[in-house]
Amino acid sequence: MPTAAILILILFTALFVAVLVFRPAITIHPGGKIFAFGVLFFLPLFCLVEGVDSEMERSKSTAFCLSCHIMEPYGKSLRVDDATYLAAAHFQNHRVPADEACYTCHTDYAMFGTFKAKLGGLRHLYVHYLRKEPAPEDIQLHEPYNNRECLHCHLGARSFEQGAVHNADPDTLPAVKANKLSCISSGCHDVVHNLRQLDQVKFWGGAN
Amino acid sequence: MPPTGPIDRRLRISGLLLILGLLVECLCLLWSRPIAFVLLVGLGGGLIAAGVFFFLYSLLFAAHSGKDEKPDGPQAG
Repeated sequence: MPTAAILILILFTALFVAVLVFRPAITIHPGGKIFAFGVLFFLPLFCLVEGVDSEMERSKSTAFCLSCHIMEPYGKSLRVDDATYLAAAHFQNHRVPADEACYTCHTDYAMFGTFKAKLGGLRHLYVHYLRKEPAPEDIQLHEPYNNRECLHCHLGARSFEQGAVHNADPDTLPAVKANKLSCISSGCHDVVHNLRQLDQVKFWGGAN
Repeated sequence: MPPTGPIDRRLRISGLLLILGLLVECLCLLWSRPIAFVLLVGLGGGLIAAGVFFFLYSLLFAAHSGKDEKPDGPQAG
């Protein structure tokens, strides 16, 4: 449901609740009782579910992630004009949806992955408000990056399955698919955000 | 209109909690920041849940008090 529709629904619900607050005597009649049950039980819970759902969707957006100042350099790294920068190459060529770039690579493509990603986000908020936050370049992943997240899109793709480097050694592809050889940290695609080098690179001024 | 009994007072408290919760939800939906998400779920959700539970509790209380007040039957004599 669009946010505007949820806001209208919330306003109408609040209005109906206000009617009951000012005129509780209407619940004397059977119709009033049904009205009270709808207004004090169903509508608020429906508003809450829709509101949380809308916020969950919004929290997947690139703009949402980059609204924290500590994430600004990561947003900047998406515009590096160098194809070896993995995050930039995926963002600029729309290999991931540009408006959900952070979420697409940093969610967990397993059961409850979105829930786990949001719990990780809560931990970020806890560190931001209640602990001393690290410098952006010192931020580490909670756990080593799992190839499953890459294979969610690349598995079965011709460029991946028949790539010359991937097939140079017959053990490479099975090891990658079994998450025994990391796509990112084994020296193959290890230039990801590289914030420490951002002052030495050129930036692309595209309209993503 | 002044409250006419305990059930009315409870409905009012429940309604006020719900209005506060809905107001918090409204503000959080308009404020696109990560902290807004936490406020929506924690504060807004908490107030709405409290309002709904208070309403259900008042229904239960009304049912009990109604049962207590019910006469046992016509008295002979």
